[in-house]
Amino acid sequence: MTAFVEIAMVTLRAMLGRRRTLLMLLLAAIPIVVGLLIRANGRPGPVDVGAVLDGIVIRVVLPLVALVFGTAALGSELEDGTAVHILTKPIRRSTIVLAKVAVAGSLTAAMLVPSTLLAGVLIARPGSDPIPATTAIAVGVLVGSLLYAAIFVTLSIVTSRGLLLGLGYALIWEGILAGLLPGSQVFSVREYVRGIAETLEPSSIESIVGSSAIAYAAIALVATSVIASLRLAVYEVRGSD
Amino acid sequence: MTGPTAALALDRVSRWYGNVVAVNDVSFALGPGITGLLGPNGAGKTTILHMLAGLLRPSAGRVAVGGQVAWRNPAVYREVGLVPEREAVHAFLTGRAFVEMAARLQRLPDPRAAAAKAIATVDLEAVADRAVGTYSKGMRQRVKIAGALVHEPPILLLDEPFNGMDPRQRLHMIGLLRSMADAGRAILFSSHILEEVERLADGILVIHAGRLAAAGDFREIRRLMTDRPHTFTVRSSDDRRLAAAFMAQPAVFGTDLRDGHLTVRVAEFRGFTQAVARVARGAGVSLFEVAPTDDSLESVFAYLVNRR
Repeated sequence: MTAFVEIAMVTLRAMLGRRRTLLMLLLAAIPIVVGLLIRANGRPGPVDVGAVLDGIVIRVVLPLVALVFGTAALGSELEDGTAVHILTKPIRRSTIVLAKVAVAGSLTAAMLVPSTLLAGVLIARPGSDPIPATTAIAVGVLVGSLLYAAIFVTLSIVTSRGLLLGLGYALIWEGILAGLLPGSQVFSVREYVRGIAETLEPSSIESIVGSSAIAYAAIALVATSVIASLRLAVYEVRGSD
Repeated sequence: MTGPTAALALDRVSRWYGNVVAVNDVSFALGPGITGLLGPNGAGKTTILHMLAGLLRPSAGRVAVGGQVAWRNPAVYREVGLVPEREAVHAFLTGRAFVEMAARLQRLPDPRAAAAKAIATVDLEAVADRAVGTYSKGMRQRVKIAGALVHEPPILLLDEPFNGMDPRQRLHMIGLLRSMADAGRAILFSSHILEEVERLADGILVIHAGRLAAAGDFREIRRLMTDRPHTFTVRSSDDRRLAAAFMAQPAVFGTDLRDGHLTVRVAEFRGFTQAVARVARGAGVSLFEVAPTDDSLESVFAYLVNRR
């Protein structure tokens, strides 16, 4: 436990100290800005909170923020060499992976859960109660933050091009293909987020996987963390010669 | 020192990256004391140290540290401290925070006291509460050493520990490593500078192009290095007469008069350098210049490799 906390604290400080945190805050503010614009325009017609949050947060902002934090948490330390000081300690590789996933996922959630809640309230129709639907979606975003973080931490161990490949995965698979190919939703984080929200509040959003999303997300989280730990155990540090 | 009792052992170890062979069939076993891993840049020193530190998988052979296999075995890090060549330490951490983190990750019972002791050992107390980002290169090297020895490991691996240090810091580092070796530790450090290894190491491993060129006592290898065939260029008042005089010397293989100077190939360094003035005087020739032409470390290493 000590090692987990120790690694998590240093990772958190390393991540918060960077300019990227500021950029991610700006990205996380996009749903709020959209909400403000909708409200400022006097909401010409009924706006579907679920559809707007799905289109902006779940489809675009969530995977992008998680991508940046997920690949930075361990990948940038492997790149710049600071990870060696952690790798050469008698600690389980899974402890390192879980600490990194926890920090990247928590940072993503810390930015996007409030952003989702606020945007949902801003977008909602006057007189309607936006809290149940928005909260349900925010819980989905919370789970999605952790799962995306685990995927991107894993990717950053497997390849030094984690950011680029992760971007391709987020935009092409999660953004386009997973919505088009029948049956592919079972392998889509976006669909899990929607399924969790729908399970908690059926009126919030529609999904294909429904309440199975919780099981799928749990399996995916465990599987990616195990893969990441196994890959980190055989990670090779290349020297200068 | 052989087999599982050795602190550090490579048994017919090779490592290749694709088609490039970085380390080629290297075997050695080291016990307590300081050993210098000497070789030019790109010889394979870091690859060997990283394999010993469990950070690289050997492509063939066995790498053992304290009798345990190093690869995929985080438990060896209780026995080993690694000081990598790269300076990378989180710049925002203070020196003390960095060393205390190492102590906690080693699960030491009193991390604070252990860190304070390690910081005192590397003589860094005065700046321990400053951020590492403000440190000089020498200070960073020392804080990495403090982090690597905070758990008092019996084995210490250091990759080019003297890089970027000024002479005073070098002296301090030499004293530090000496005292740690005297305490019974096995220390292996890499360097591409002969004089560093000469001043510090009890034993030496010479690596060239991935192969172990020589291993053993430093004086023995120094003799091999100096007693190898050499080529000298000589300028004198009468090169032709001097060439004839040299040819009468048993240590001289051949002479060559070209481009306005005399080239002399000799069997061994010392014998020739001792005889050259006497021979010139005997021939009535004034010497203007005597210079070895191939005394670069690279040529020394190449010679040692080809000799085996």
